[in-house]
Amino acid sequence: MNVAVDLVDAVRAAVAEVDDPELPGVSIVDLGLLEALSVDADGAVSIGLIPTFSGCPALSLITELVRAAAAGVEGVRSVNITFLSAPAWSVERISERAREQLATRLTVAVERDGRAECPRCGTETVERSMFGPTRCRAIHRCPGCGEAIEVMR
Amino acid sequence: MNRWASTEEFQAFLDDGGIVEADDDMSDEYRAEVFKFIELHANSELMGGLTERDWIPRSPGLRRKMGVLAKTQDEIGHAHLLYMVAADLGVKTRRQMLEDLFAGRSRFHNVFHYAAVTWGDQVAIAYLVDAAALISQQAVFKNCSYGPYRRILRRIIAEEGFHMRHGEEMLLTIAEGTTIQHDLFQAALDRWWLPALQLFGPDSKPDDELMRFRIKSEPNEVLRDRWVQKYAPLLTGYGFTIPDPDLRHDPDTGRWEIGPIDWSHLKATLANAGPDSARRIGNAARHWSDTEWVRDALDAVAKEAA
Repeated sequence: MNVAVDLVDAVRAAVAEVDDPELPGVSIVDLGLLEALSVDADGAVSIGLIPTFSGCPALSLITELVRAAAAGVEGVRSVNITFLSAPAWSVERISERAREQLATRLTVAVERDGRAECPRCGTETVERSMFGPTRCRAIHRCPGCGEAIEVMR
Repeated sequence: MNRWASTEEFQAFLDDGGIVEADDDMSDEYRAEVFKFIELHANSELMGGLTERDWIPRSPGLRRKMGVLAKTQDEIGHAHLLYMVAADLGVKTRRQMLEDLFAGRSRFHNVFHYAAVTWGDQVAIAYLVDAAALISQQAVFKNCSYGPYRRILRRIIAEEGFHMRHGEEMLLTIAEGTTIQHDLFQAALDRWWLPALQLFGPDSKPDDELMRFRIKSEPNEVLRDRWVQKYAPLLTGYGFTIPDPDLRHDPDTGRWEIGPIDWSHLKATLANAGPDSARRIGNAARHWSDTEWVRDALDAVAKEAA
């Protein structure tokens, strides 16, 4: 069934165009939010998303944006979106491309093995507060260049 | 580290679009102005976060409660980042800034000197005040000469944009609701229109230092007008009355013209003598003293580790 496979790819590409509402220019797919995607023979799309943290206030907006993106693909008749409770999201799900975009555009670092590097100078950062502006981000300081940095954790 | 031989050379660097970093040899005047600006922003984020916090237990429904919780965390997180950047300028330590704020010796934005009486006020703040703050921040971000502040603003703007969508959704709910909801928001609009308008400040002076140092890139009156042109038609369109008897829509130009602004209210807030200033500062000071034991514990842990 090549038609269905093509449709899955087309929906995936459309969903990949959705940016995180608080991280403009970074796709939710690159952030690892998309876990499951299927399309049945009638064009009914099922999407399973994983929230970075439970209680994330952006979930309803993300749902709306993903629904609109998927519904816009030719051949799609309905879209069903669910948030999955497993697997749990972790920073390992963030793609290399998103890491690069976060670092260069937003000066946001991503933890790797419990450590983070300053996006500006590469020095290992030091945590100043585990509570950043959102639940998925902590506040660090770079001892090298002095920058105040948000780190995805 | 950049050095400049004279203030003229430093000004030429700024005029050419140069970006100043924390360890650069900036002029004393520039350091003082940029510090004052960031301190005001940091204080305002903190006071704004505490205002939001008051509404966590009183939000109508779980979804709104999540929104208020997230907004509180956002504002406090922004304050945290901004205090770090402000402290790096070496004018005041973070503790000095906080102590000055809680003793009423420093400033925070006028809008946090008023009481949020009902949920309607929360909607007015989210819809009008957040939008005004975003317009100001976007104008600063566009061309700001101070690098560390500019990089934080980029992220703050992304998050404030998200708050604005929340505000729009909240307004739509209340505007499409019952007469009681409509009246609740109208009463809040009567209270908040003027403070939101005054958030932009009085008209900029031609020799405004903030413009010369490229901290701001557009005069206050231009930003204020941008906000009026957007929100006057929206609010009137939803059937609300803007509390300005002189407000009129010019059919020829398509522009909304507002009446004269009474700046005495803004002046009172700048002196920390607004309608709710004393309660808000007292409340913030109480939070600060209630959490003294946390700072003591962290200091003790740090001492032990050293």
